[in-house]
Amino acid sequence: MMRPASDGQDVPSVTIAEGTPAPETVITAVWRSESVRLIAALVRITRDLSLAEDLAQDALVAALEQWPGDGIPVTPGAWLLAVAKRRAVDQFRQSQTQRRRLTELGHRLKENDMPDLDAQVDYIEDDVLRLIFLTCHPVLSPESRAALTLRLVGGLTTEEIAAAFLVKSSTMGQRISRAKRTLVESGATVELPAGRERRERLDDVLAVIYLIFNEGYAATAGPDWIRPDLCSEALRLARTLAAMVPDDTEVHGLQALLELQASRTHARTGTSGEAILLDDQDRARWDHLLIRRGLAALSRAEELGQPAGVYTLQAAIAACHAKARTAKETDWQQIASLYDLLSQAARNPVVEVNRAVAYGRAYGPKAGLAILAPLADDSVLAGSHLLPSVRGDLLALAGRSAEAAAEFRRAAALTRNERERQVLLQRVERLQL
Amino acid sequence: MRYMVLLRMDESAGAPPAELVGAMGDAMQQAFASGLMIDAGGLAPTAQSTEVRLRGGSVMITDGPYAEAKEVAGGYAILETRSHEEAVENARRMIAIHQQYWPGWEGAAEVRRISEPDEGPTAG
Repeated sequence: MMRPASDGQDVPSVTIAEGTPAPETVITAVWRSESVRLIAALVRITRDLSLAEDLAQDALVAALEQWPGDGIPVTPGAWLLAVAKRRAVDQFRQSQTQRRRLTELGHRLKENDMPDLDAQVDYIEDDVLRLIFLTCHPVLSPESRAALTLRLVGGLTTEEIAAAFLVKSSTMGQRISRAKRTLVESGATVELPAGRERRERLDDVLAVIYLIFNEGYAATAGPDWIRPDLCSEALRLARTLAAMVPDDTEVHGLQALLELQASRTHARTGTSGEAILLDDQDRARWDHLLIRRGLAALSRAEELGQPAGVYTLQAAIAACHAKARTAKETDWQQIASLYDLLSQAARNPVVEVNRAVAYGRAYGPKAGLAILAPLADDSVLAGSHLLPSVRGDLLALAGRSAEAAAEFRRAAALTRNERERQVLLQRVERLQL
Repeated sequence: MRYMVLLRMDESAGAPPAELVGAMGDAMQQAFASGLMIDAGGLAPTAQSTEVRLRGGSVMITDGPYAEAKEVAGGYAILETRSHEEAVENARRMIAIHQQYWPGWEGAAEVRRISEPDEGPTAG
């Protein structure tokens, strides 16, 4: 049906029936799906993160006032942006004390910054990309980058982010405010970096998304419905980034890695919440839609022909597991050679331990133990259960049960995770001593 | 949360206008790019469908189309959302695009949550 929109133009709008669903929740959902593009466009126009957020909130208030009566506009994003821009101009006109800022803003509101709303669509992707470069800016700590990215790009509320990271709402609020202040004080600009800087800044963005995913992946013990699902949020960010930066192998590589890792979510914990290792997972419980998407993203990464970096290599390893219908069919030799490449790309003791596991499976426990040997005094691994538990695994494979049991016991004493400890002690019991 | 949105319409409405196809394509591309939509597809006409039904103790196999079915599913989308409302909003958008680009069209988007693997089967 046709209804006059608030600005008097005769455009069709959608009328929401009384009762179900409650208009306010629908309006909030509309706003949330538009908020990242809205804030991103406002950041470009005002060059002021806090102001952009305030203006976006003003637009939400206007929507809550007008849409229940007028219906939801056909292009809600354009409507919200038009309202926010009008507020911006009004605010600057009214404020005599901010005269100077008005002049500054006037400079910025050049013709090419104020395209008509249809043309605005063309700007949107770059706006969001600029915003994500800003929220992942190197002047911020990794935790602040994650929080600010979830707030402004993910569209989560401060309360939701606080719940996700298990901190108090007020603490998270302060962290976000401080991060915004740091951006202003450091003179961080809203930009699309080019050349070598682009590569470095993209790596920063990828690291933030990976951090958010791992925070969620590590914390999925037990059903917790209140805590937002950080894995899903990270996946969304990775997909968004891949759509915005389609020419970068690692961007697709990260998306592939996260889709593939997320595909195992329902298989990696048992009915009582205990961790289930990859070999023992029921592969029918893997999410085959996510596997298909992960493999497609990996193909896109590889088709670009750029050297594979750490995310693409890890995705390729995850793909080897995803493609094996049973644990026995796993191509461990392929995985071992991918770990060789990963080890060259990023030498790191944890990668070495995993490389040892792969070599143990592909070429026998001796090959694996040989890779572990130089890691005995590694400071990064000291105090972690990782090294003794993998060494125990390889020794068990080699039939050296007594030594394996000692390693498993050492690992059990080191782990801080109770369920992991139980799994390790069970392995001791299973050994034929 | 994962949702399936089924777009139901009267099959006799004929071929959609090119403008609708273009606008729906753009909207779907945007939904995929935002990470919200993870799969989508169109369903062939019910003239190519077959129903296998158990009734009164016997199994009946009937080829489509079915005169009694007014609205049939013509396409589906799989969404990963944070809330039911977010899924509804995406469905609303699809219908709003039909409203704008296909005058006289009537139909419905059915928003169904896909059960989590651990939820088990649910009764009705």
